[in-house]
Amino acid sequence: MKNSQLDYILRIRLPITIFIVITSFALTYYISRPERDGIGNTPEQPIQFSHKLHAGDMKMDCKYCHTGVDKTRHAMIPAVGTCMNCHTIARKDRPQIQLLKTYYDEGKLLPWKRVHKVPDYAYFNHSVHVNKGIDCTACHGEVTQMEIIGQVSSFTMGSCLDCHKNVHDKLPELKSINKGPNNCYACHR
Amino acid sequence: MPETKDEKVNQSVKADPNYWRSFEELHRDPKMIEQSHNEFQQSVTDEFDPKKLSSFSRRKFLALLGASAALAGTGCNDYPDRGEIIPYNIKPDEVTPGIANYYASTAACEHGCGILVRTREGRPIKIDGNPDHPVSKGKVCTQAQASILDLYNPERLKNPLKLGGSGLYVEISWENVDKEIIQILNSRGSREVAVVSGRIVSPTAKKLFDEFAQKYNAKIYPYELFNESLRNRAWQKSYGGGLYPQIKWDEAKIIVNLESDFLGSEGNRIENARLFAQGRDVNNINNFNRLYVIEGNMSLTGLNADYRLRLRPDAQHEFASALLKAVNGSMSELNSFSKKFDLSEAALRSLVKDLKQNSGKAIVYAGSTLSEEVHFTVNAINEALGSTSLYNRQAVELYPLISSGDLVSLINSMNSGRVAAVIHFDSNPVYHFPKDLGYESALKKVTAVISMTETNNESAALSNYILPINHPLESWGDNKTRAGFISSQQPVIAPLFNTRQKEAILLNWVNGDAKKYNDKIYHEYLMNNWQSSVFTPVSADSNFKQFWSNALHDGVVITNESSSSSLSFNSSGETSPKLVDLNSFVVALKPAYSTVDGRYADNGWLQELPHPVSKITWDNYAAISRLTADELGVKNNDVIDIKAGGESFSIPVFIQPGSADRTITIELGYGREKSGVVGSGVGFNAIVLMSGQSGTSPWIFKASVSKGTGSYELVTAQEHHVFDDERTKDAAQKRGIIREGTVEEYKKHPHFLHKEGHELFSIYGSQTNMEYTGLKWGMAIDLNKCLGCGDCVIACNSENNIPVVGKDQVAKGREMHWLRIDRYYSGSENEPKASTQPMLCQHCDHAPCENVCPVVATTHSPDGLNQMVYNRCVGTRYCSNNCPYKVRRFNFFNFRDHFKDGYQEANVFNLIYNPEVTVRSRGVMEKCSFCIQRIMEAREDAIEHNRTIVGSDVKTACQESCPTSAIKFGDVNDKESEFAKFRNHQLGYYVLEELNVRPNVTYIAKLRNTHSEEA
Repeated sequence: MKNSQLDYILRIRLPITIFIVITSFALTYYISRPERDGIGNTPEQPIQFSHKLHAGDMKMDCKYCHTGVDKTRHAMIPAVGTCMNCHTIARKDRPQIQLLKTYYDEGKLLPWKRVHKVPDYAYFNHSVHVNKGIDCTACHGEVTQMEIIGQVSSFTMGSCLDCHKNVHDKLPELKSINKGPNNCYACHR
Repeated sequence: MPETKDEKVNQSVKADPNYWRSFEELHRDPKMIEQSHNEFQQSVTDEFDPKKLSSFSRRKFLALLGASAALAGTGCNDYPDRGEIIPYNIKPDEVTPGIANYYASTAACEHGCGILVRTREGRPIKIDGNPDHPVSKGKVCTQAQASILDLYNPERLKNPLKLGGSGLYVEISWENVDKEIIQILNSRGSREVAVVSGRIVSPTAKKLFDEFAQKYNAKIYPYELFNESLRNRAWQKSYGGGLYPQIKWDEAKIIVNLESDFLGSEGNRIENARLFAQGRDVNNINNFNRLYVIEGNMSLTGLNADYRLRLRPDAQHEFASALLKAVNGSMSELNSFSKKFDLSEAALRSLVKDLKQNSGKAIVYAGSTLSEEVHFTVNAINEALGSTSLYNRQAVELYPLISSGDLVSLINSMNSGRVAAVIHFDSNPVYHFPKDLGYESALKKVTAVISMTETNNESAALSNYILPINHPLESWGDNKTRAGFISSQQPVIAPLFNTRQKEAILLNWVNGDAKKYNDKIYHEYLMNNWQSSVFTPVSADSNFKQFWSNALHDGVVITNESSSSSLSFNSSGETSPKLVDLNSFVVALKPAYSTVDGRYADNGWLQELPHPVSKITWDNYAAISRLTADELGVKNNDVIDIKAGGESFSIPVFIQPGSADRTITIELGYGREKSGVVGSGVGFNAIVLMSGQSGTSPWIFKASVSKGTGSYELVTAQEHHVFDDERTKDAAQKRGIIREGTVEEYKKHPHFLHKEGHELFSIYGSQTNMEYTGLKWGMAIDLNKCLGCGDCVIACNSENNIPVVGKDQVAKGREMHWLRIDRYYSGSENEPKASTQPMLCQHCDHAPCENVCPVVATTHSPDGLNQMVYNRCVGTRYCSNNCPYKVRRFNFFNFRDHFKDGYQEANVFNLIYNPEVTVRSRGVMEKCSFCIQRIMEAREDAIEHNRTIVGSDVKTACQESCPTSAIKFGDVNDKESEFAKFRNHQLGYYVLEELNVRPNVTYIAKLRNTHSEEA
């Protein structure tokens, strides 16, 4: 009687308990890795565009290309024509620029890979954030250092609200900013 | 004297003198009473068995979803593909993704109101009014707003079709079809080419028609099913020429309206409503107008009458003659008339007194369906009253409509082979022409029948060639309906299909070379015409190009024209009226409020818009009085047979409070046979009763009527949302859903509405009130100005992506309209007083829906909005159950998929959606959001320009569309604003205030401008 119970505990209960504990740890670890929120997402783009070169080394203003960022909810990916403002002359010899030029000349659409994504039911708005003085880097990280653009912060509802609730801790440089709204209609409608 | 208990019981069983919505309610039908104890219609969950929907239950689906997500999470890439962002290759200058562009244009109907088309990323998504337009002043009717749905109709014709030898239509290229038709036109010999069109309101199109007529010996036949011909003929008889003028309703103090629905369906109702409502301003109480309506069936105008008398339409001549005599001093004839027709003598006395006392400020107006003689007599009355100063003589007619005589001769020539080709220029004569003319059989004798149309219709189905044409939003044009201005029409999107503008097709035939066509020909033709006829160089450096782009930008060009000349009245045409036999039945045909003459039958928004009076959707019916129903032995939904002029016709009846006895009123525009999946087979086509031979009026005639066989279910949106008013007597009044007074009462006691000082008790106890210190949104609806037309409902549909659900679903109480218009009657069923009330989410401070949601999907925002979050909603429907106003709507299905086999899921349909509003799917609750997307847009704009948002920054869609500006919206806490005047008005009240749910929609009580009892 006694033997068999110990036997049962050792042979069945213990392994199951250990298995459950290990898998829970493993799963929790796996799921809570930053990659799960898309952090580190650096998809391969149809043209190897370097933000480091343009925004970093040459210090171009983000708004030169992302023209919608202070006007609308979309930051806007620049039209191919915007690139050609410079590249009709600049660096015409590079293969990537020649590739760009074929898109332009043939009127083909340039399918950039999406890096950051908030779901369709969240109506995130770039202009209100930018116009309140929040720097692009607050969400997009040091784009000026990125050879290939990638995601550095989490874009979940939790991360939005984290900043909305604790804006003075998160963005101490903005002294006069109000807390962000945390009612549903602020993002969902 | 206190009543005995028995009397009370007896009374409540017999009839309730208070507000009632239907006869069942008035007569305390036990079934109805039982039903009214239930908040929702009995059938609301009928045939809704989740198991039947799909064997794939939600639970199973979630389980599988979870499992597959776990699998994907462990097995696959860390970074699932997030799709692509595709920018423009070269961005058009005027397009910024996320920002709407507005283009001024003109509505494509005979009234030509100015419209502003809102486009997003190049696709039109909503039609608003153009504030610069001198007539419509920023408002447009339901039809113009809903016409955007027709642009994206998946059943639009996409290629030219030719009738092949086998009787089937085959696709043909534009070049070939043009070649063949030009060949037909050239080989006409001495025969005529007939062009059947609608009313011609475009000066450039008129020029084109003239050129076409000259080149091909063609004759143009503009025809409208409803028109002003009788009124104009009487005017010409009275004054020797010209057209019947517009009325300055805003300057009229007394309006006597005979059988006209000028607020609902007659003339430019947007202008009429705006001007009329200027005399209904509670802040200018001494300027209230008084509306007398004498009509056979309750119309939208009748709903808004201060005094309403029911009179069969064929007795109007007798009445007008008696009234003319009374105005000239002899009351005896009017007295005997009132005895014969059992009209209130007191009301008639006060009518005559008012007319005489307000001479120069009183107008008598007769409906366009009445006979020429009535109009002539009415002109004489107005002449006697000195009301000619209320005439606004600016009407312009570019091309007269054809008379019935012309029509008969056209059909004769068709029958005798003297017509080489018939061209249906965006018209549908097979459906619209009176059947006794035999147009359909005459058409078979014509070898070439050419139909230009957007969608298939009855006339196209009998044609040899069907040419698909552009929607007005894809077309160029101009419009002239009044002296003093001309308006322009411009395309806002390139043609979606292989279609051409109808004028361009004709122009290409005039040019005579099929190969020479290009997209710009009519655009250039239009510009050339404007350059030569509209453009007047002010100075040497003014150029046409600048003028043209300004004209397109504004949508309207003011021209200097003066029209008025003095009027001299010729009274010799006065005829004595034929006396009416009271025992005969009279049929009155009216345009439908939604589909007008049937041209909008394929529009789901309009079909589903409840009739403003009866609240019936998706059907027409014969409106009769209770007495007539008893006489015929029919009840609601029973079919009656009507025989007139050899034709027989069956239609279900609806017993309409306030109908004259033995008067049968039927709306035309229904019973289309070939109008796509939406419009075909909806309602009954009463055009068969009309006669093309000229009588006194084609729309009003005697008929014999008998009970028919069977019944037909009419679906109404009115008996949903019945509140349980059996518990207390006087419920509707005590509960304060409708509160009213009279102008005199208000003048004496401005605070009469709140004199009772009733105690507020609350089922929610004394909650600690949330403080709203900042901006807080609220709405105020002025019931003096609300006419009940339903423009706001369509605006809301368009703005908020609301699906069409279909007749079967409306029958179950599942319509999705966020905003509805409730209509209440009070008084007796023969002389009802009516009240209308737009009802939408009240955004209560103590919202009962919020307390019961188990998943917190509906919550309150700090600016006072009741928020609905679709993603959290699991569809328990508790909130709807707990809503005292019954304004929450549940998606029992994915209605886009459910309605007509996924009609609204067609690819082209996706283009119509407002991208700022979520498209809801099955299983979630939804409701009015106070246009949160517009609030957020205003907020973004304020932040961008570094200022604080104020209440007047936001206009809700319903507010923007309301032709009388009855809806106000703004910041409750801004005491200085225009909105605050209405929010804190002494006539303001809240519906079901005693529940203490603290609603945020203030209703301004309706004042009736009646005489006090002594007078």
